[in-house]
Amino acid sequence: MPSSQLLAVEARDLTKTFRSGWRRQRRTEALRGASLEVPRGAIFGLLGPNGAGKTTLLSILATLLIPDGGSARILGMDVVRQAREVRRRLNMASGNASFVWSLRPPEVLDFYGRLYGLHGRALRARVEELIELCELGPHRRTEYNELSTGLKQRLAFAKALLNEPEVLFLDEPTLGLDPDVSVRIRAQVARLRREQGTTIILTTHYMREAEELCDEIAFIKGGRILAQGPADALKRQIRIGEVIALRLDPAEPVGLAEVPGVLDVRRRGEALEATVDAVDKRLPELLRWLHEQGVVVRDCRVHEPDLEEVFVELAR
Amino acid sequence: MSSLAEAPRALRARPPEGLRAEWTRTWAFAQRNLVMARRNVFFVFELLFWPGVAMLSHGLLTRFLELTPQMTAFILAGTVALSTVQVCQLDVAYAVLFDIWSKSMKHQFLTPVGIRHLAVGSWLVGVGRGLVVFALMAVIGTSFFGFDFLGAGPGSLAMFLLGCFLSSLIIGLCVCALVILFGTRAETSAWAAVNFLVMLAGIYYPVSVLPGWAQALSAMIPLTYFLDAFRVGYGFAPAFSQPLVKGFALSAVYLVLAHWALAAAITRSRRTGLLLKLSE
Repeated sequence: MPSSQLLAVEARDLTKTFRSGWRRQRRTEALRGASLEVPRGAIFGLLGPNGAGKTTLLSILATLLIPDGGSARILGMDVVRQAREVRRRLNMASGNASFVWSLRPPEVLDFYGRLYGLHGRALRARVEELIELCELGPHRRTEYNELSTGLKQRLAFAKALLNEPEVLFLDEPTLGLDPDVSVRIRAQVARLRREQGTTIILTTHYMREAEELCDEIAFIKGGRILAQGPADALKRQIRIGEVIALRLDPAEPVGLAEVPGVLDVRRRGEALEATVDAVDKRLPELLRWLHEQGVVVRDCRVHEPDLEEVFVELAR
Repeated sequence: MSSLAEAPRALRARPPEGLRAEWTRTWAFAQRNLVMARRNVFFVFELLFWPGVAMLSHGLLTRFLELTPQMTAFILAGTVALSTVQVCQLDVAYAVLFDIWSKSMKHQFLTPVGIRHLAVGSWLVGVGRGLVVFALMAVIGTSFFGFDFLGAGPGSLAMFLLGCFLSSLIIGLCVCALVILFGTRAETSAWAAVNFLVMLAGIYYPVSVLPGWAQALSAMIPLTYFLDAFRVGYGFAPAFSQPLVKGFALSAVYLVLAHWALAAAITRSRRTGLLLKLSE
């Protein structure tokens, strides 16, 4: 476990209950003891079904919400007691971001840049740099309301980089975007970490996005973190196993399911799919066993489970 | 997948912020209000149409009632006070309302911005727009109804306007607090509260005509004292002793309270999640 000094985010037993309705009697437990550790410089994915508590957790870490219980630190600073100092060092972009309707992209960036204390030549240079980076140049005179969804998203992303944040929260950054825009945003995210060492915490519904970008992933459901680790480790942890697809002669040898390490056997078309706990160890053993049984192996392919399967398993 | 080889990096040093950063944050709100005012035609109505209509209709009323120049000054001073306070307090409230209407609230409160920045920045534009309103009303009042705005002396006029602008700042902060506390449904009641307060301040009549309980409330409103002091310059007997001292002292107390109320409203909103709901 990394020491506190090496952590960008450290959350312990966070709880948050929202009250609504008549006399605020209706209670919704959004977080029920969520704990999280994110190393500095990591790209960290927060996955979970709708209503799992992702946005609530992100909002607490971004100082937009005050937790009912537990504690959270960003770069070693408490998000409640040292909120102002924390805010200087983080930023956030969300998929459904919105800005004042009449402002043009450079004006939006100028406004928030000033709120981060940027001024004069440094502010102007930063705004221009971000306009270029996010390819907003041709739209600099278009008012916010008239921008397309993709352009609005790019502007939100540019806004999130104004203060060169050390910790960047991205809440569904590619939600509803065209694939080419999503690809560019993902490239920017990877570049940010690579060139500036920014710690990035993102929520997404796109498993491929998480698998492509993230060093570590946490699954959250019902306000609790169910699992956390690198994607590969999670796949092992969930024990959904890896699949060996075999074309055999005879097609279904008796006793295959009893071979040690084989978790499941099922037929898919002409192939027989054997789910094993660790393919590196089990594949040679399986082939040896088939040979001993006199079974001819006509084809053999290994499929790694993707994150989506892990997600489905955990969300069950 | 990316690698963690370069991480972690040392915490980036952020230089301590000085007065320049304070002023930059403050000016951000002023500049945004200016851009919005320049770009939206309906802001012209706030600035020119309604104050112009108020001055003309009240001036014509004084003609119809055949009021003396002194009584005309009494009424039109109230008209000026109401219009400048309304326009200026609106600008202060815009610091929060623009974000509520555009659902961008969370971005503002994600930054290291303080209440002083949003309050003073937007208030400065409010003062500017309030002065434009005053100039327009002075021109109409002098040209059509013979009302001399400098009749009480330039010093008295300056104190009166300063009092109006301070009242606007207090009211604007309270409107911001109400809206952040109760969401957009509080907007209408916030405007209503402004008019109620102004009515109690003896805008078109001396507070002595109000019932006893209302007079007690009037004595708690700074604008009551600023109007009283200004009207003394037109030959009216003062209703209070040391009205300017009381007006500014009350304003100082209410400014502190309004600042505290807005800070408490923001904290509560962060606690209940309303701050996020206002951004959805």
